[in-house]
Amino acid sequence: MPFETVNSKVVRARVSPQAPVLARRGAMLGYSGRVGFRPVRGQGGGMAGFLGAAVSGETNPMMATEGQGEVLYGYRGLHVTVLELDGSAPLVCEADRLLAHDAGLQTSVQFLGSGGVRAAVGGAMTGQGLFTTNVHGRGAVALLSHGGAFPLQVAGTSIGVDPQAYVGHVGQLQVDVAARMGLRDAVGRGSGEAFQLRISGSGTVYVQASEQKF
Amino acid sequence: MQTWNPATLPADDNVNPHVFCVALSGEWFMAKGAMLAYYGDVRFEAVTAYSSVASWVAARFSSPVYVQDWVVAAGHGKVLLGDRGFDLNAYDLDDGNLTIKANNLLAFDQRLELKQSIVPGFVTLLGTGKFIASSNGPVIFVEPPFRADPDALLGWADCPSPSVHHDTEWMSASMAGMLQGAMGRASGEERQYDFTGQGTVLLQSSEIAREDPAVLRLIESQTQLLTTSQAGTLGQRLVARAQQQQH
Amino acid sequence: MAQLTADRRVLRADLHGDRIRAASGSMVAFEGDIDFKSAGMGAGGGMRAALKRAVAGESLSLMDCTGHGRAYLAKDAMDVLVVDLAGDTLTAESQHVLAHTDGLRLDVQFAGLRGMTSGQGLATTTVTGQGQVALVSEGPIMALEVAPGQDLVVDPDAYVGCRGQLQMGLVSGVSWKSLVGEGTGEPFSLRFSGHGLVLVQSAER
Repeated sequence: MPFETVNSKVVRARVSPQAPVLARRGAMLGYSGRVGFRPVRGQGGGMAGFLGAAVSGETNPMMATEGQGEVLYGYRGLHVTVLELDGSAPLVCEADRLLAHDAGLQTSVQFLGSGGVRAAVGGAMTGQGLFTTNVHGRGAVALLSHGGAFPLQVAGTSIGVDPQAYVGHVGQLQVDVAARMGLRDAVGRGSGEAFQLRISGSGTVYVQASEQKF
Repeated sequence: MQTWNPATLPADDNVNPHVFCVALSGEWFMAKGAMLAYYGDVRFEAVTAYSSVASWVAARFSSPVYVQDWVVAAGHGKVLLGDRGFDLNAYDLDDGNLTIKANNLLAFDQRLELKQSIVPGFVTLLGTGKFIASSNGPVIFVEPPFRADPDALLGWADCPSPSVHHDTEWMSASMAGMLQGAMGRASGEERQYDFTGQGTVLLQSSEIAREDPAVLRLIESQTQLLTTSQAGTLGQRLVARAQQQQH
Repeated sequence: MAQLTADRRVLRADLHGDRIRAASGSMVAFEGDIDFKSAGMGAGGGMRAALKRAVAGESLSLMDCTGHGRAYLAKDAMDVLVVDLAGDTLTAESQHVLAHTDGLRLDVQFAGLRGMTSGQGLATTTVTGQGQVALVSEGPIMALEVAPGQDLVVDPDAYVGCRGQLQMGLVSGVSWKSLVGEGTGEPFSLRFSGHGLVLVQSAER
């Protein structure tokens, strides 16, 4: 177990030469042992990944934590949720939700939604991140949320989620961005337009109890 | 719904993780804005004003930088304290000392003595008595040797004051220039407070910095160390920075 | 019958073909078939409602949630408390009202003394009838008893609402002014006397 939950806002990672950790820059709270920090580019997918990040604006300044010791991670008092990925399906989330993850996990940028949907939503999702990050492989991920992320199970049905409250998802899930009349009152205060994410299939969706981004 | 009254509220203990109840019988020092509600006969006086009627006050509260942010609560009653919904903890000192981030100190009983720490933004409490401090999330206690991010450092007890450690690898990566653009802004990992010796270090999840009015007063008082021409240079740099940030 | 259940920072609203009202923008997720539609101010129609809307501003804009399923409602990760009303009245600062069941009547009032002096917005909401109302607060809400000879003084920034036969007065004076400091916080505190409960949150707004 590379991440130990210290409390709702802090995790402890045991770092070794065999198990380095990638973390958001500015997230290190403290450490003991012989540990070093090295800035790295946000996406781990090589040149293509980096280009993807540059295009999408999903640049997420990360750093590698290497050496031997124990490191505490947290970020601005936000809540932290630790997920164990078994490799069967990637975690999909916005890049700035990533507090830390096993360095062995691969990240790549994905465009959420196809052309049709993109045409429908136009530029209105700007700032809300139609581009998301996929985290592949087996290992642990620590995710940030405002107030904590609660899991919603989807099993053959679909649920609606406020894009601002969406944290991420794992499983065989299809995400569609839908504008919906009347929803203006339900979601996205001040955003001018109302969208919801319709998520269907089977898997787990993580939602936070807040519309605040950070 | 659970309800509380003066008899059922705890005495000098937490009501919930975010609220502390002081059973006042005499005097406590309290940070302005920390009081949520109270029962009983309680008066609040500026520390400066109260010191004219109680000479011991000046001896207990020896920090001119922080004095205007504090009051003396006097009387009898139950006083409820809170701070931004943060977690609140009581600390009992027994002929000891503990240094804590000034912004997170909410109250201390009048037996304790407060002094300004050498480390900016921190104060030290000395003696025997109780004080109340807030933290963003529960407090994490660790033992030296330990290096802490300055934003996550809540305080320390017994061990020597920290020194500043700069991460060699981080600095060399930064100096190599390959990531100059990305590295222009410090993220915190390049600089830590290094604790050694025997003692305890207190940490919290780093918080979004809150403006501490005392920091301005503190730095201003230290500009007396500068010569006239140095002070002029500093003034020009600050003006340039302010203009740059307007754009 | 629609059921409201608080789960720390999230309110679960279970709908069985009926309706609840919730603060606009408070839906974070839903399961099933639920419609969300603006309900305006929750103070009825006509001129009276329009006037109240003007006074209250955006402080209590509501939406109707109807259908079958479960809606998850939340506001800025604040703690949620569900209060059951059995014909009596709860008074709350409007920005703390998250949702209520259909049987309750909401009235937005000129807040009188408090509203006039605090600059916190003029809207105080009274909730009357039989049903459930959900409140949000920074940190859990404490319910503090007020009884004859047992007055309570509250920082206006920590005040959420009250219930019972209470009188509210303002405390100013030198003592209070020295406590809040110059230019920060409220120049007044609230003194409650009578008989009832005062709801207080654990943070200043």
